[in-house]
Amino acid sequence: MTSVAAPAPAAAAEVPKVQESVAAKIMRWLAKAPVQILLIVIGLLWLVPTIGLFATSILPAQQLASKGWWQIFSKPSLATWSNYHALLHNHGMVNAFKTTAYIAVGNTLLVVVFGAMAGYAFAWLEFPGRDWIFIGVIGLLVVPLQMALIPMFRLYDTFSLYGTVWGIVLFHTAFGLPFAIFLLRNFFTGIPKDILESARIDGANEFLIFVKLILPLGLPAIASLAIFQFLWTWNDLIVSLTFGVQPITVWIFGQLREFGTSIDVIAPAAFISLLIPLAVFFAFQRYFVQGLLAGSVK
Amino acid sequence: MKKHHVIGAAIVAMVLPLVLIGAAAGRSATSGAAASGSARAAGVSGTVTFDGVWTGSEAASFGKVIKAFNKVYPNVKIKYNPLGNNVSTVLSTSIAGGHPPDMADIAQPGYVKQLVQQGHLKPITYASGVIGANFSQGWKSLGTFSGKLYALVFKASNKSLLWYNVPAFKAAGVKPPKTWAQLTAAAHNLLASGTPAFSIGGADGWTLTDLFENIYLRTFGPATYQRLTTHDIKWTDPTVITALKEMATIIGTSSNMAGGTSGALQYGFNDSVTNAFGSPPKAAMVFEGDFVSGVIQSSTKSKAGSGYEVTPFPTIKPGPGATGVEVGGDLFVTFNDTPAVEAFVKFLATPAAANAWAADGGFASGNHNVNLAVFPTAIDKANQVAMGQAKSVVFDMSDEQPASFGATTGQGEWGIFQTFLKNPANVNGIAQQLEKAATAAYKKGK
Amino acid sequence: MEPPLAAAPPESGEGRNWGRYVAGAVFLAPALFVLGVWVVYPVVYTVLRSFFGQSGYLGTWVGLDNYKRLFTTSTLETAIKNNAIWVAVVPAFVTSIGLLFAVLLEKIRWKVAFKTVVFLPMAISAFATGVTWRIMYQQDPNLGAVNALTRSVKDVFNQPGVLSQAFPSTSGLQQASPGGAMVLQRPLATGSVALLGLTGIAPADVPKTAVQAVQPPSKPGTIVGTVWRDFKPGGGKVGVVEKGELGLPGVTVELRSAAGKTVQSTTSQPDGSFAFSGVSPGSYRAAIGAQTFAKPFAGYAWLGPKLITPALLIAYIWIWAGFSMVVVAAGLAAMPRDVLEAARTDGASEWQVFRRVTVPLLAPVLIVVLVTMVINVLKVFDLVIALAPESTQQNANVIALAMWRTAFGGVNDFGTGSAIAVFLFVLVIPVLMLNIRRFRTENK
Repeated sequence: MTSVAAPAPAAAAEVPKVQESVAAKIMRWLAKAPVQILLIVIGLLWLVPTIGLFATSILPAQQLASKGWWQIFSKPSLATWSNYHALLHNHGMVNAFKTTAYIAVGNTLLVVVFGAMAGYAFAWLEFPGRDWIFIGVIGLLVVPLQMALIPMFRLYDTFSLYGTVWGIVLFHTAFGLPFAIFLLRNFFTGIPKDILESARIDGANEFLIFVKLILPLGLPAIASLAIFQFLWTWNDLIVSLTFGVQPITVWIFGQLREFGTSIDVIAPAAFISLLIPLAVFFAFQRYFVQGLLAGSVK
Repeated sequence: MKKHHVIGAAIVAMVLPLVLIGAAAGRSATSGAAASGSARAAGVSGTVTFDGVWTGSEAASFGKVIKAFNKVYPNVKIKYNPLGNNVSTVLSTSIAGGHPPDMADIAQPGYVKQLVQQGHLKPITYASGVIGANFSQGWKSLGTFSGKLYALVFKASNKSLLWYNVPAFKAAGVKPPKTWAQLTAAAHNLLASGTPAFSIGGADGWTLTDLFENIYLRTFGPATYQRLTTHDIKWTDPTVITALKEMATIIGTSSNMAGGTSGALQYGFNDSVTNAFGSPPKAAMVFEGDFVSGVIQSSTKSKAGSGYEVTPFPTIKPGPGATGVEVGGDLFVTFNDTPAVEAFVKFLATPAAANAWAADGGFASGNHNVNLAVFPTAIDKANQVAMGQAKSVVFDMSDEQPASFGATTGQGEWGIFQTFLKNPANVNGIAQQLEKAATAAYKKGK
Repeated sequence: MEPPLAAAPPESGEGRNWGRYVAGAVFLAPALFVLGVWVVYPVVYTVLRSFFGQSGYLGTWVGLDNYKRLFTTSTLETAIKNNAIWVAVVPAFVTSIGLLFAVLLEKIRWKVAFKTVVFLPMAISAFATGVTWRIMYQQDPNLGAVNALTRSVKDVFNQPGVLSQAFPSTSGLQQASPGGAMVLQRPLATGSVALLGLTGIAPADVPKTAVQAVQPPSKPGTIVGTVWRDFKPGGGKVGVVEKGELGLPGVTVELRSAAGKTVQSTTSQPDGSFAFSGVSPGSYRAAIGAQTFAKPFAGYAWLGPKLITPALLIAYIWIWAGFSMVVVAAGLAAMPRDVLEAARTDGASEWQVFRRVTVPLLAPVLIVVLVTMVINVLKVFDLVIALAPESTQQNANVIALAMWRTAFGGVNDFGTGSAIAVFLFVLVIPVLMLNIRRFRTENK
């Protein structure tokens, strides 16, 4: 970034040291300003639907029948928390929340652990047919989970998994693994070979290498995987509905009216529901720290 | 089946004056039975799993029915599963997976027929007596398939209604139309007054089929209606062409529908109601069933009487069909036969079950022993009476069809009528498409 | 720089190799078990099931009937076409937007805020997103945000007319084309009175200054007349100015010569009356100018058959750009910085560093995003079913939705539904082939 300013003052080396920094600073700002402005505009546009959702959730349903949600800006007095009140004062919601947490956390843990193990195996361990099995696994990415509903229903019935949280956790784990393995394997191959070689030469067994080396180095990828798996399963409806378990999505679904707009239920519920995955996102995204890998090479 | 309807309806009409007496008698009868059978009732225990369509406040109302049941049978636990319109996915999965619920609520007789043919349902002949005591033969035969009683029609909605915006009618100087000619004149005046006449929710295909069926019923009568239902008459028959042409007089003038033709295609049922009763209204009339009032109350500020009112669907031709009522209903079916299930089914046929929900409003039933006093509003009472007084009652035709023709989004009847809405001039083309789809569905045996 | 190769077996002895095989098995076992039961078994079941009839766990054998039906009926035609559009547009867009954002993120200090904003859509359930965007896409500019925005831009250029819509109340007044001028057919001579009655005007649409319509008396040498709302409750007499009917002020009235040229034009008064004075003898026609009816912007039909797929694509990209950005950012975070610094000190510009160093190093991660998006888009279901209204579900149809509808949604034909699923599996094979090829070159 200083390369733009560098060549010019190079001739007048000593004297304009102070001027150079100012000129350089201005150059740098000019180079950055369009980026800043662009990103601010993009950010604002991106937020509009979400702001709309929030505005919808604090307006009474009758108001939304004739005017759009932006009326909140011209008439802020219309805002009300009654939709949220109605939703939260229903004690079914607490249980639903707990169930959702068990499902989301449970399956994310399993996906991360199993996925990392498999990803490492495909990236750095040798065994016959490795590449073909890997391709087979990626192929499973395409299986739509609707097709597993019927055969799994019969299986769950036989093994009494119907209506259990474990049943849902395992189902989601299975359908999250292809992406997890794909992502982590591709990520792990980016780890420089020499690190692993030196560890192996030093006599470390695979398990040690996996825990002490691969996991820390792969943290950014693992963190992003965890975020996605968590929020995909946090928001699932059809699997829990079919197998008789009641997380938040199913519970909200049970609150909708058959006829008539249910936006006064959907909007606040969607908003409350998105706070947790957002919190998870915050907690994990700080693992995207640069230099993690650079540091360990030295 | 058609004969039963006419006779059954006539019986209902004769029995109606006895409703109040019957209700009182019915109530004391059940409490008497409860007292003497309470020892037996306490002995019945078990769980009944129930997959139902109702969610939200309707599920709460059904909860009251369950509570009333538990007063009589305290040891039976009913597990109600609110599925909304995902009921077909979940039910199909559990049936194919080998473990269906004990009972389910299905709105389409056509689908129930399929299930009977596939041998999944258990007959409810043990409840025949109770049902016979409370429902006319017409209602009983709606639940009869292959000669056996399989389903109880617990709740029904009158779909032959017209809801209108009171201030808009006043501004146009129009009175609620009783005949088709009056409807056309009213529509003309409404358009001239600046408010389009019809609020069509074409994005939900079933609103279009309901309109067609009402027109067909009131033009050609219940006997012909039944023949079309069973595909005895083809969809290319001249009667169908006539009815389609009549329907085109409503949907054919783009300027006389809320949002024009393209709006009508994008507005769903809910939108069509808020369009008619929001302020300012985008149109003045909605054709649909008694469940419209629920939408008005939850989504608009319109009040009964001053804002909205209801009147029966206009008559078209004199005859038995002139005041015919088309109903939609919830059919309760059983997949398993246990003492707990039998107890629940028998209870549901009694007036006590219907009264428990009726008090919440938004309920109507073919049970002629219900207590009218329990119905909370004038509109609710009127709907219940209309159902009882109707000279002929027929079931929603599209619900009686095989599901792939009568109840599938974007396909079969629903999809083809949406195409009709796009181009109402193409009556013959639409009739041919309907016939083609119907033949294919009936051939598959579904 | 090429992406690093996968590990080659070490030179040291066989014991190591065997240990590696066992290790491989152990590391793979849990994942393969779960995948085998929950994914592979249903796939096998589905393939088998596609050769059987419509109901029952297995049903009756029908051979290739289901497949025949697939390719002879039009069920899948639209779906395949739509999926092709999805595959062509979305993965490329999403991957490049994610890459762009991830790279630009480096340059700003408020990274977390921006990341959160772009990521937020992913945290909202597909159902809620579908509902939100369906409301935003509503055609009525008073209700739908997208059209409201478009309207505020368009209204700057097109002034809406005084009346949004109106119809002639009598056949004497004719409108040649919709939105055009309305011409009174009866020829007028000086001293005559022109009555221009309009209906179909909502009371709220009548300009606020309007008062009871008045028919002005005829005056020699002038042509007078009234433009009024020819309606009172009950209809009233058409073509006659009656009590209770309001005049329409602000309407542009033109006096046209027999040849059709506009000779004079004026605006109507609050009681609807207008007058053309100083008119030379001859035959004229009166007309209501077209600018009176300039319709306000009525909104694009985003949820209509033509625009529904683009509407869906926009909403989908809005959701998934966050995914792409987060994954690429993770890849960037793990990238060795010294390579970039080395390139920079060598005098390379930002763009060159980006193109020659960053992108190739990010290639494995970008592949993951691209391939995942292609497959996700082939499977897209939730958003289409939640966003598209029923009347355009067929226009917006995609393969996964067609499969669900056939298997569960009323048709209840598991046999054909399974056949569609198998068809979907088959479609992915080109994607897999591409990946295999890349994989092979990587290993060389």
